[in-house]
This record gives sequence, C-alpha cells and structure tokens, in this order.
Amino acid sequence: MTDIALAPPSLDLRHMVRRKLFPTPLSGLVSLIGIALISWLAWALIRWAILDAVFFGTPDECKQAAGACWAVITTRWRLMFFGLYPYDEHWRSAFGCLTLIAVIVLSCIPWFWTALRISVLWVVSFTIFVVLMRGGLFGLSVITEDKWGGLALSIFIFAGTSLLGMPLAIMLALLRRSPLPLVAKLSGLFIDTVRSLPLITILFTVAILLPIIVPGLAGTKITRVICGMAVFFAAYQAEIIRSGIQSLPVGQEEAAKALGLNYWQRTRKIILPQAFRRALPPTVSQFAISFKEVALVIVIGIFDFLASGNAAYGSGDWAFAYVEVYAFMAFVYFIFVFSLSRYGAYLERRMRVGK
Amino acid sequence: MPAAVSIKNLDKFYGDFQALRDVSLTVTEGEKVVICGPSGSGKSTLIRCINRLEEHQAGSIDVLGTVLDDNTGHIDAIRREVGMVFQNFNLFPHMTILENCVLAPMLVRKTPRAEAEEMAMHFLKKVHIPEQAMKYPGELSGGQQQRVAIARALCMKPKIMLFDEPTSALDPEMISEVLDVMVSLAREGMTMICVTHEMGFARQVADKVIFMDRGQIIETNPPTEFFDNPQHDRTKTFLSQVLAH
Amino acid sequence: MFQSRKTNAFLIQAVIGLVVVAALVLFVRYAQRSLEAQNMTSGFAFLWRSTGWDVGFSLIPYTINDPYWRVILVGILNTLFLGLIGLALATIIGIIVGALRTSVNPVMSFLGTLYVESIRNVPMILQAFFWYAVFTHLPPPRQSIDLGGMMFLSARGIFVPWLNVSTFAAGFAGVAFGCAVLLALTFSLLPRRSLFQRTLYPKLSRLALLGGILFAAAVLFFGRNTDGLFQLPQLKGLNFTGGLRVSPEFAALLTAMSLYGGAFLGEIIRAGFLSVNRGQIEAAHALGLSGWHVFTRVRLPLALRAVLPTLTNQYVWLIKATTLGIAVGFSDFFLVISTSINQSGQTLELIAILMAGFLVINNVLAGVMNFINARIKLRGTQLRI
Repeated sequence: MTDIALAPPSLDLRHMVRRKLFPTPLSGLVSLIGIALISWLAWALIRWAILDAVFFGTPDECKQAAGACWAVITTRWRLMFFGLYPYDEHWRSAFGCLTLIAVIVLSCIPWFWTALRISVLWVVSFTIFVVLMRGGLFGLSVITEDKWGGLALSIFIFAGTSLLGMPLAIMLALLRRSPLPLVAKLSGLFIDTVRSLPLITILFTVAILLPIIVPGLAGTKITRVICGMAVFFAAYQAEIIRSGIQSLPVGQEEAAKALGLNYWQRTRKIILPQAFRRALPPTVSQFAISFKEVALVIVIGIFDFLASGNAAYGSGDWAFAYVEVYAFMAFVYFIFVFSLSRYGAYLERRMRVGK
Repeated sequence: MPAAVSIKNLDKFYGDFQALRDVSLTVTEGEKVVICGPSGSGKSTLIRCINRLEEHQAGSIDVLGTVLDDNTGHIDAIRREVGMVFQNFNLFPHMTILENCVLAPMLVRKTPRAEAEEMAMHFLKKVHIPEQAMKYPGELSGGQQQRVAIARALCMKPKIMLFDEPTSALDPEMISEVLDVMVSLAREGMTMICVTHEMGFARQVADKVIFMDRGQIIETNPPTEFFDNPQHDRTKTFLSQVLAH
Repeated sequence: MFQSRKTNAFLIQAVIGLVVVAALVLFVRYAQRSLEAQNMTSGFAFLWRSTGWDVGFSLIPYTINDPYWRVILVGILNTLFLGLIGLALATIIGIIVGALRTSVNPVMSFLGTLYVESIRNVPMILQAFFWYAVFTHLPPPRQSIDLGGMMFLSARGIFVPWLNVSTFAAGFAGVAFGCAVLLALTFSLLPRRSLFQRTLYPKLSRLALLGGILFAAAVLFFGRNTDGLFQLPQLKGLNFTGGLRVSPEFAALLTAMSLYGGAFLGEIIRAGFLSVNRGQIEAAHALGLSGWHVFTRVRLPLALRAVLPTLTNQYVWLIKATTLGIAVGFSDFFLVISTSINQSGQTLELIAILMAGFLVINNVLAGVMNFINARIKLRGTQLRI
C-alpha cells in the first residue's frame, strides 16, 4: 500500500477528440458526417456571402454575379432604416434611433434598477425621440407619424409598448392579487382573455376596427397600435410579475404589515422590488419576444422595418434579391433578440449563483 | 472456488483527482464483503466500477470470468448478472411496483409477462410487501421503496448483488426492515458487496470487512478481527467515530 | 358601518361591478349607434347571406354562393388543419433537435444549437414572408423542378401524387382509421388490474392500430378509380392537372410554423431530458436495459411528464400563430373573418365570433393536454427526485 503518485491519463487533445467524437464506430461516422456538413455549409456561405458577393453596384451587375447581391442593401438601406422619412431629415431619425438603443442598453445596467431612475431614463429618452422625429420645436420641421417608417419606427413601437406596457402590467398584477374577489376575478378574466387571443387579431381590432366602431376615440393609427401592443405585453408581463410576487416568502409581507406599513408602502418598498428581482430573467425574455412581435404590424399596413424591407426589393429592378434583403433583416433582428436573450440567461445564472 | 469478482491494481481518475489508487480485491462466490470508510474514500466509486457505471483508467476488473472493458457485449453480459441497490432507491416513478420489477426481465431476458409477474410477486413476498404491487413508488415510504428496489434487482436473478449505502437515506425506524431483508439474502448464499455504515450488519453477515480511505484499501479482515483488533491507525480513528453512537 | 372591512369590501365591489357593467353597456350601445350611422346593420342574420367571394383554400366544397356561416366554417377548418399538421411536424422536429442538443457528441450538439439560435431569434412573420418569397419564386409549371417524375416544385404550388379514390372510399377509410386509432388509444389508457388485462391490452392496442392501417389501405385499394390508385400530376399546357396541389401560401406557413415551433419545442424537450434524474437512468443501465430501452422506457416518459405544461403553452401559441395566414394570403380563420368584415360590414358580430372561436380552440386544446397531464403525472408524495 504505497502512496504512488501516478500521473492522470493523458488528457491531450487527441485523446479528448477520440473519446468525445469517436467512442463507437457509429458515433464516429456520425461525427464525420456532421463535420463534413458543417464545413460544407460554412464554405458555401462564405463563398456566397463574401467571396462572390457584389457589395456595390447596379442590379445588372448583381444578376451577373454568382454570389450575394448586397448592393440591394447598400443602395436601399435608407429606405429600410428610415422608411419614407424625408431624405434631408434622416439624421433626426438616426439620432432618435440611437437614443432609444442607448436607453435599452443602459436599462440593462443594475444602477438604473430603481423605479425612479428607470422611469426618468425612459420618459426622457422617449420624449427626445418624439421631439426629434416629429419636430415642431427648436426649429425642426414638422413630420407627422404617417411618414415615419423602417427600423426607426419598429424601435419606436417597441419602446412605446414597453413604456406603456410595464406600468400597466404592474397594475394588472396587483389587481389580480387583490383581496377583493370581484376585482381579482375580473382582472384575471381580462388577462386570460387577452392571452388567449392572437396578437394579430388585437392589432387588427385596434387599428382598423376601432375607428369604425367608435369614430370619436380614434387618435392616430400608431398610437392605437402602441396601445394595443402595450395591453398584450401587459397581460403576459402581469403573469410574470405575479409569479415573482408569489415566489416571495409570505413572511416578507407579514413583516411589513407588522411594522405598520400601509398597502402602497408595502407594495412599493418591499414586495415589488423583490418580485422584480426574481422575475428579471423571464421579463428580459418577454422583452425579446415583444421585439419580435413588433414585426406583426406590417399586417395592418404600418410601414415598419419588415414592410420597408419588402418594399426595398419589392418591384422593379431589385425583385430578384429577396434572399439578401431577408437575410439582412434577419441578421438585424438576430443581433437585437440574441443579445437580449443572452443577457437574460446571464442574469439567470448570476441569480442562481447568488442563492 | 472461482472468483466472482477479481479487481487488480485499479486506478480511477476524475480529471486530475485520483479517486482509486492501485485497488486490488477478490470476491469469491457466496462471499459477503462489507466496505466502509469516511466519505470521499472511493468506496461507492469502487463498486460502481464493477457494473461500469464508472469507468476505470488503469488496472483490470473481471466479473464472473468476463473482462470489464469498453466492449458493450461484455458490459451487457455483466450487468445481467450483477444487481445493484442505490442509496436513493431510483425506482421508476411512472410505473407501478409490479411494472418496475418485471420491466427488465421482460425486456432483457425476454421472459413472458405471466412468468415475470409470478417471479416478481415471489420476490415482493420475500421483501414483505406483496400487497403494494399495484401502487406507485411515490405512494410508498422510504423503507418500502428500498425493499422494492431490492426485489427489482433480484428479479433479474443476479449472481452478485451490489449495495451502495442502501440505508443512508432512510429514517432510522425504517433501517432495520431493509437490513433484515439483506441479512436473509445473505443467509441464502448470495454474493454481496455492500458499502455501508451499519456495523451491526457487518458483524452479523460479512465474511470480510474492508476499510478504505482516500482511494486505497487500508485494511481487510474478517469482522471479529476487524472490529476487535484494528491494525492501522486510520482504521482505529474511523471505528471510534462510527461506533461512538 | 363604514368601519367594517367586510362591509367596505362588499360596497366597493358592488360599485366596481356596476361601473364595469355600465361601461360595457354604454360602449356596446355607442358602437352600435355609430355602426348604424354608417349603414352597417347588426344582428347575426347575415350568417345566412351568401358571401359573393371566394377563398384560396378549402377542405370542404365551397362556392361564392355559399352563406357566411359556411365560409367561417371553412376558415376554422383551415386553421385546425394547418394547426394540427404544423404541431405534428414541429413536435417531430422538436424531438430531433432536443435529442441533438442533449447528445454527448459535440458535433451533433453544435448542429442543434446552430439550428435553434438561428431560427429562434428571427420573428416568425419574417420567416413566413421569406418562405413565401421562396415558394413563389419557383419556376413556372413548364420549367418546374422535377423530383423523380412524381413531385414538381413550381411557383403555382408543389404538386405531389395523390390518391385517386372515390369520395366514399376516402371517407370510409378515414373514418375506419380514426376509429382504429381511438380504439388503440382506449386500450392503452384503460386501467390494467389483472394479469390478463396487462397481457392482452398492449397486444390489442397494437393490433387495433395495425388492423386500422391495413383495413384503410384495403378500402382505398378497392375503392380506387378506374385509372389507378395513385394520381400523378401531369403537365397539361400551362399547368398541372391531377395529383394534389400544395399552395405556396400553405407551404410557406407550414414550413415557417414547423421550423420555428420545432426550435422552441426542441428547447423545451431538451429541458425535459436534462431534468430526468440521473439515478433512474443509472438504475435502468444497472438492470441491463439496452440504450434504446433506457431512452424509450425511462428517459422519454419521464422527460415528457416533466414538460407537459410548458408544451401545452407552446402548442396554444402555435395554434394562434396560424393567424399569420393573413400575411401570406392563406385563408385561415382570421383572414376569413377580416374579409367578411370588409365585405359585409358586420363588425361587432364577426369580432365576437372571432374571439369566441379562438377562446374555444385554445380552451379545448389546453383542456385535452391538461387531461393527459392529469392521467400520466407522477403519483405520490414520497418521490425522491
């Protein structure tokens, strides 16, 4: 019985590769096929998207090339990003866009996670966006909402939905937890009904049917759409917040009551902050989903990013380049949504470790 | 007598950590071996290597004449003849007790259902819970679940039974019902390798008791010598801690 | 009196109730008056009026002279048809993707991740538009892509061979197969209290399924039309005749739904596989069960039980996603309703029908899934999982 200090078996790369990829002949074959497939795909993609691609030029030059026709993007990018916004004022749309994107990124920093700071951040930047886009102040020319379009409009709808939807969600969540059974049941009914309807039907109702049914209450189409999406967002987010509240130990509310805090004080200072912390990962997911759902507004005739993309290749010269346009749009969406989901996953890991 | 299990110079690593150092052990047919030691000593790892739930890096393991290596044919043959009882029972929660017991015989040994069920009821009677046959594992107490686990393993008519701390997860009042089953199994001549802290059981049933510490076998002796005359200091320390209460 | 919490609560709720009811009534009256002012009548009598317009795709016979209730039925059937096939395909893709992602082989796992991340992060409507563009940019029928002389891909649609049987035979075979499936399901779900039942029922279940397939095949064979059992699409002039035409709209939406749904279902199923306790897998291996048996008898059933509620949510979402039909022009329930509103002006009634329809579909789907969940969920409180 000697204490032999044996070296562990060789864990060099060859060994690892052999064990993980080729433990059995069948597994090895599958690995080889998989690697061949991936390499072939990667090579075909690089050749199409970069090597043989045409980055600038006319439609004819593009048609003659074997690769991707990115010229459609480089020629039509203004349409896709800004829609039908007047050419000279594109800088306003661009700045507005960047402001909102900056705000979304800043919202991910924990320093901003108090009700006051985050509300101020969003309200201020939203106002900046509207002032820039709409004009009328500081010598900027007035450009009404019907001329807004493209990616800027998509981001605007997303920001509006979040800004309106979050307070609504908190309200609905608290109403559903009300001790008054009628209130709880009514809000529960409302939430469940909204959640069981497809978003398109809600958008259709508010955008197209509401002006017919109640001509007085119209407002602009975009306003109605944002309200509709906000309500839909709020219904889902309310359930997420409610789970957050329900996951708190009962003792928290009891201790707050025992200290003599009234309902609003308890809710604002004790319950909601903690509930939000717990509900943060699914909330970030919900934001990612919401951003994807903004694309649905194309169905009711709003000239968002997707619609402007369709128009970019739509008719005429660039009609053959639809794959490139969709690929580009998919890429833009991918960056936004993937970053949000990764951030949500990171938050979830951090919270689990903290426990 | 031919060896049921023959382990020679076994080494096992988890990454850089060596869990088993040069372990050698022979168990003959019908022998009852108890392995004890502090946690992290490698006792569970050792018996899990016997039915290839863990892989060893160096040395050799022979079970009932078959070499244990990467060959799936060998592994399957060995698993058919070696039964295992786990600390957390590991009954299949979505099947009834009866189904738990007949699943392997029907699928592996191709026993027809009527025969398999008869055999299952026989073993359930042996562990004293035939009336629970149609219940689900979640509806039974811990002690009952562990007895079912023993019956399930026995339904495959194994030649060797491995026990990995079978009573460690049980409430104290249920430990004896499980130990009683194990004792009667031992009396019938089953080859058993048990990792356990139950020293009373070891004294009663074991042919030899092994003490392991930090991946090595420190001491092997028949129970009377082991408990009355421990030779190594580490064994003495361990025994004084375990037998204190 | 106003000090008592119970009385206060009662009074407040009474007031809220009255306000809500009053608001609803006022809203409906206002809406009705504005609709009348625009010469849109109310009432459900329009349902028996003929529509005067056609739909792109219908499972049941439909002409422009048929009444509104029939076109609504067409829409509902289309939604259910697309929904069920989409759900089935998405589930199959989901199981494959889930298995890939949980594979020990890093190459397989990477392929799975590649698929999931590329599909999940792009809106489904964009994918639907993309596939629609792909399918409508296929060559015209004369130059269609020929797959083995049997399948043709063209801009007018995908033409596949189809059964050439009398309607009676098709109906009879369908009903017989449906009954066989129900019989098989009944035998697998019936409780088995005696050895006799435990031996017999699995065999009967398999027999019923097999018998159903054979019987339906026989009926189809004997009920075939004079020019052969299968009808191959044939190019005649500018278009194809015979065979089945899968319209580009349907193909696009089905592709988008299956791929997108498959990505999400794959993640859910993966979570399910990961949640299965290692101990049970080890016990199954220790008993000598083969890898396949460990997967089908232990891993898969337990993974399924773990994720059934999440799966239900995703299925409900997928059914709602069929409303994207309006984007590509597939006549699903929603497109039919919105066209009806356009053409008939019966806004409020049709919205009510739309909402009621989706509520019913979703609740039935959720109800069925919850029933299955209650039947198969793990029993008892003493599980050590």
